[in-house]
Amino acid sequence: MRRTISLYLRFISIQLRSQMQFRASFWLDVFTTGLLNFSYFVSTYLVLERIGNIAGWSIAELAFLYGMIEVSFGTMDMIFSGFDPDVFSRFIRLGALDQVLLRPVNVLAQIFGSAFVLRRIGRITQGAVVLGFAFAHLGVHWTPLKLLYLPVVMASQVAAMGALFMAGSTLSFWTLQRVEAINVVTYGGVEVMSYPSTIYPRWLRGFFTYLIPFVFMNYYPALFFLDKPDPLGMPGFAPFLAPLAAGLMLFVTLRFWRFGLSRYQSTGT
Amino acid sequence: MATIIRVRKLHKQFQVLVRRAGLGGALVNLVKPRYQVVRAVNDVSFDLQAGELVGYLGPNGAGKSTTIKVLTGLLVPTSGEVVIGGLVPWQARERYVRGIGVVFGNRTTLWWDLPVIDSLELLQPMYDIPRERFRSNLAEFTRLLDLEPFLNTPVRSLSLGQRMRADLCAALMHEPALLFLDEPTIGLDVVAKEHIRQFILHINRARGVTVLLTTHDLSDVERLCERVLILDRGQLLYDGSLSSLNHRFESFWTLKVDFEEEYGDVALPGLEPPARTGLQAVYRFDHRSVPSAELIARLLERFRIADLEVRRPPLEETIRRIYQEKLLEREDADKRA
Repeated sequence: MRRTISLYLRFISIQLRSQMQFRASFWLDVFTTGLLNFSYFVSTYLVLERIGNIAGWSIAELAFLYGMIEVSFGTMDMIFSGFDPDVFSRFIRLGALDQVLLRPVNVLAQIFGSAFVLRRIGRITQGAVVLGFAFAHLGVHWTPLKLLYLPVVMASQVAAMGALFMAGSTLSFWTLQRVEAINVVTYGGVEVMSYPSTIYPRWLRGFFTYLIPFVFMNYYPALFFLDKPDPLGMPGFAPFLAPLAAGLMLFVTLRFWRFGLSRYQSTGT
Repeated sequence: MATIIRVRKLHKQFQVLVRRAGLGGALVNLVKPRYQVVRAVNDVSFDLQAGELVGYLGPNGAGKSTTIKVLTGLLVPTSGEVVIGGLVPWQARERYVRGIGVVFGNRTTLWWDLPVIDSLELLQPMYDIPRERFRSNLAEFTRLLDLEPFLNTPVRSLSLGQRMRADLCAALMHEPALLFLDEPTIGLDVVAKEHIRQFILHINRARGVTVLLTTHDLSDVERLCERVLILDRGQLLYDGSLSSLNHRFESFWTLKVDFEEEYGDVALPGLEPPARTGLQAVYRFDHRSVPSAELIARLLERFRIADLEVRRPPLEETIRRIYQEKLLEREDADKRA
């Protein structure tokens, strides 16, 4: 395990080195993506300023929801770069997976190490700025539990969204192409998590509760952090389901991944 | 000698989607796909002894690559037994690949954006190669493969021949007992080919590395291999020495003669009349019944000759004959019966 991790870190450092070869374009890229995402927040902010709130959530509270997901998604997109379905399906088509299988190193560690898009720090920074704005205006009533639970929630968000990336990549063992349907769920899910769940129709909420348990990743934890009542009448432990749900998603995805890989090795595609 | 590769009754089948033509056909494909079973490898058995350098030959689509993919653990066979160095390739993957080296002529195992030396250095922790061994191997292979001039060049900027040399080095840094080479000289010029062949011979002779080489460049095989396996449509047609292959299946040799003067009849008893153009005649003969020395002696007795050239048919031709006539298939069937 220690060996695997140290190899993973070496692969990442190679990735970083080659990405930093062109420093100027790298920072320009970071800056523009950050700015682009931030302008999206600003335009939403301007609209909200007129309306005042959405479903009883103030602008600062909405910024909390949005900022959390932006930071987590950016982080996930960076760590799981190799499992981005677009990237991974190309990886398979180029036969690069064969090279991976010929090396005496854990397959997952190699694919995690095959890409690490550092430019995503633009989006992460943007999310952190929005989150800072939220905290500055909210006056959250911090308790030790809240302080401890916040990083757990963010890690759970990263894991849950990463699981969907991996599931999408696993599908390309069959299709060799990226599958648009899974991207709709991933990116749609990210949108859904950025707003209060109550604004969505019942069926959509049901989908992201029971099939893809995204409501437990951001909405319920936010209710807990901001001391808001739950209008949906879930049990009181609902805000604390994030790590459990994320773990479950990751577990199921890894099983699926293993099955896909064994199928790759028996079809030779 | 110890058996390093043992393959028994290896089968690999694929289900291939039968594509119908046109837009309507594409729609039908989506709704009601029809599959066809392709037997890529069909009942193949062979052994390799440690230290052998064996050529694995066959036309495109014969199942060479599929076999290599099974033997390297990339593919799980439909049925059959493969034991290599005491391990089953597709089980215990990580342990197995430590003991083998693999080079695919058409793609690299190196990191595309990295200088060659950085790629090679990554192998040290990946294969847990002791530092000392790593350094001495690197020095030796750098010298033998002449890597020095491009050690600091990114892999993407290498020529094909340079890349192949770097790949060979990478495949051997961890001192595998067994090396799989899939078309190692494909697309290379004569000089580069020769360089690579010399290196393969060297690591086989000096280091005792067992080599299984697939190629359709038969000059590779003539230069390197004593034993060949010939595959066609998934089946093993021949497994034996190259010399006995030639002896048994070679077609007619030819003897080209330039006479010093015009002769009326130059036919020799027992041979078909030669093809003639001006002062030149070309005889076809079966070297197994008439050795070329005897034929030349007979000609020199009768005629004044300016020049002679004996030509053996190239291996391509011999192998083509085997494919066409399926001589071996019948022979094998007789032997088994």
